[in-house]
Amino acid sequence: MREFEDVALVHLDSLYQAALRLTGRRADADDIVQETFLRAFKGFHRFDPGTNCRAWLFTIMRNAFLNRVRAAGREVLEDDMDRHELERTLLSAPEVPGPEEAFFQTVLHGDVDRALKELPLVFREALILADLEGLSYREIAEVLSCPVGTVMSRLSRGRRLLRVALGRFAREHGYMKGADDV
Amino acid sequence: MNCQEFEIALHPYVDGELPVGEMMAAEAHAAECRRCHALARREREFRQLLRRQPREAAPEALRASIRARLRREARRRVVRPMIVVPALSAVAAVLLAVTLLPALRPAKSLIGELVDKHIAYAQLERPAELSSSDPAEIAQWFAARASLRVIVPDYSPAGIRLVGARIADADERKAAYLLYEKGHTLLSVFMLRSEAAPAGRQVAFRGHDYVTAERKGYRTIAWTDGQTLFGLVSSLDYDALLECADRLRTERARQTRL
Repeated sequence: MREFEDVALVHLDSLYQAALRLTGRRADADDIVQETFLRAFKGFHRFDPGTNCRAWLFTIMRNAFLNRVRAAGREVLEDDMDRHELERTLLSAPEVPGPEEAFFQTVLHGDVDRALKELPLVFREALILADLEGLSYREIAEVLSCPVGTVMSRLSRGRRLLRVALGRFAREHGYMKGADDV
Repeated sequence: MNCQEFEIALHPYVDGELPVGEMMAAEAHAAECRRCHALARREREFRQLLRRQPREAAPEALRASIRARLRREARRRVVRPMIVVPALSAVAAVLLAVTLLPALRPAKSLIGELVDKHIAYAQLERPAELSSSDPAEIAQWFAARASLRVIVPDYSPAGIRLVGARIADADERKAAYLLYEKGHTLLSVFMLRSEAAPAGRQVAFRGHDYVTAERKGYRTIAWTDGQTLFGLVSSLDYDALLECADRLRTERARQTRL
């Protein structure tokens, strides 16, 4: 128990934060984090102490989350982006660097969380792990059980989609005019 | 590297995930191409925006509830055979517990790798991910970003200024990286989880053993302490490097006692 606290429970804040952004609801975040630690505790003998505990916990949490999502029939983990209308339209334009300082000043408190919530799950989870929780590509690949190349592609598309959404909010706030310049 | 190749490498480049050679090629391209330079800058700023997002700690009630469930589960298990959990020294687990992959490989080429990183980072426009001269801020950053407890020694009495930090990769595992400078001379300090003994010339200094080696014109000092390998790379002379190593060792011992 003591060892588990030292090695695993120290990551509670990080897991909770990620769960909150993944689910968007406190009650859901509480539930999956509880379930994650209970499962991890039961399976702690399978954890190799030389390895990365945080990635291991994230893997357990992701499975717990996906089980719930599937059970509720709410959201599908779909990486077939040809079918994703939003992405096809938004990302058809070439990358053009825009006036950045101006853009970042238009991002208001809460916008990022709102934009994250709108992202398809495959991108949301990659972005949460990389940009908000600071996992390396290798760790993310382990958590998502996919190749590192897939991690890269999801991050690059996900960040771009997030930026498009933030640009849209900025226009709603009345800050920016014009086309989707991403 | 041309613009098309740069765009493909853009995200791993800003994420510090490119191999050293490609990173240098990307850096060289960005230095010449305004458009690609701007692309990289925008991605970096976007990442910083995401990292600055407010964070919520887990509610106390949740923490208490998890502890209670774990205690119940632990009691339930007392009647069963105890699970085997290989002992992990508390100190090694917490102190500078750089996350790692299980493979233990000989550190023969590790010193060469650290020197290559030192050279590559020195050529980057921003060698440090976090620029700061405050050891406490850097230690907090490692804790928040990567759950690493890192000793950040203060070398300022020796005129060696702390510049910043980054999370690096070495020997296929995550490493804490500290960057210092004395005048225009850079000093890189790497810390990673490794039990393999570094290869090189054995040197004793104030009762401790170190391994020194020269690679590509840089001097290196390495040693292992517990499960952590420390590596210093610089063109500073060995006397200065040994002092730095000794101070880091002393500071680590002091913090371990606390």
